[in-house]
Amino acid sequence: MACTSLPKHPLTLLRAPINKSSPPSPPAFPSLSNASHSQFFGIKLSASSLPNPSHSPKRSMLVFAKVSEGNVPPSFTLKDQDGKNVSLSKFKGKPVVLYFYPADETPGCTKQACAFRDSYEKFKKAGAEVVGISGDDPSSHKAFAKKYRLPFTLLSDDGNKVRKQWGVPSDLFGTLPGRQTYVIDKNGVVRLVYNNQFQPEKHVDETLKLLQTL
Amino acid sequence: MYTLTPHSLSTAPDAFRLRRRSRPCRAAIATRPSTTSPHHTDDTPMKPTNVAIDDPTSLRSTWSQKAWVASGFVSILTPLAKSAVAAADSGSVFEPLLAAYAGYVLADLASGVFHWAVDNYGGPSTPVFGSQIEAFQGHHRWPWTITRREFANNLHPLARAVIFSVLPIEALLDVTEAGAAAHAFVGTCAGCVMLSQQFHAWAHEKARRVPRAVAALQAAGVLVSRQMHGAHHRPPYNINYCIVSGAWNGVLDEYKVFEAMEMILFFRFAVRPRSWSEPRPEWREEEEEEAEEAAAL
Repeated sequence: MACTSLPKHPLTLLRAPINKSSPPSPPAFPSLSNASHSQFFGIKLSASSLPNPSHSPKRSMLVFAKVSEGNVPPSFTLKDQDGKNVSLSKFKGKPVVLYFYPADETPGCTKQACAFRDSYEKFKKAGAEVVGISGDDPSSHKAFAKKYRLPFTLLSDDGNKVRKQWGVPSDLFGTLPGRQTYVIDKNGVVRLVYNNQFQPEKHVDETLKLLQTL
Repeated sequence: MYTLTPHSLSTAPDAFRLRRRSRPCRAAIATRPSTTSPHHTDDTPMKPTNVAIDDPTSLRSTWSQKAWVASGFVSILTPLAKSAVAAADSGSVFEPLLAAYAGYVLADLASGVFHWAVDNYGGPSTPVFGSQIEAFQGHHRWPWTITRREFANNLHPLARAVIFSVLPIEALLDVTEAGAAAHAFVGTCAGCVMLSQQFHAWAHEKARRVPRAVAALQAAGVLVSRQMHGAHHRPPYNINYCIVSGAWNGVLDEYKVFEAMEMILFFRFAVRPRSWSEPRPEWREEEEEEAEEAAAL
């Protein structure tokens, strides 16, 4: 469960605090009450993003649990900007900073990608890999990576399946895909979940801070 | 859950991808009407013309423009007069003054929203707003031209908008026998909206040519200043949209209100705002001296 303390000053109500999830949640199974929370400028918006379990078709994978700190996230295989299949398991053995972003070539996402690019050496020094995920297709990622000289992998989450599976919350009453970053340690366990839609550069600072402690 | 990413849109996804990646969105000024759909980026081939150099008589106020602006003043002063009379009758001035202040504050916000919308969306062929969109794009390239326009020439489009908005609202207020505060709000808000283009022109005027009283009001933050508005005139033209007092600019920009709206429109309708791309070279701002030298060649 994401918990946040709302600051007292009215002006700072709109600032996005760090979104840290609480200790490990129970094993994943379908739950009616599992709502997604979005830390949009510090105001918690709760939207139930689950289908009614009584209508749920037979699914081969469990899609209802949100990935939180302490979880081992479900694996996935997605295409990167060169069209090659990349699995999350490929990165086991080293920390991974996996950042979900709304779309290529939008101002916030560009700022975020460039911020990760500019701090890439620091991530490498910490032994970590940086991976971006959005719903754009590989050719869009390729153009985006080329234009901004991004040295890291961008994955195409076709149909936003992984985003939904991991429970990345949306913003502004479901109109915007959320901007959420996960830091996964070398054992494949999530150690940080950070959400901030409109201050994208903060994702770099927060993840680097966490990596120093790993 | 959130709506589909732009690439999942079922209507012509390939065309969309092509449009997104082919070139940055750019402003277009048409020398002839475009037949492009108004819902998409207007890519009408353009040949920007600076009327200040090519057709300076077009900057002078015509009689019809003067008539519109005069009517605009009537439509603003009428509710203000009604408010003054009602306030005198009731003996209370605090409420109408507060309402007038609220009108002034709202006008600043409204100017920003309108400015943001026409700067970023539509084109010359957009119904109703096409000519305004065209004019705003030309203004980015030649910002100093606004200082060469005569008063009514500058204000007449806003005067029209104000007249057609105020008339029905005032009719409603009369029918409901609204008090002094309501009329004060309407008159002040409409007045600030209509005069916003003059405030805008003063924000472009050289400091020594601005009347001293205006300069004082700009320095006090009552009217938008040259510095505040100058920050808008830097590519990609995505901040400081408000042009009455500019008081809303800080809040709107700090909390990325326009960026949020742009993202929503992008994900809902697959429309990119112009401010997400750098302007093309032929649309870069041209200094007054530069334009005059180019014309002399």
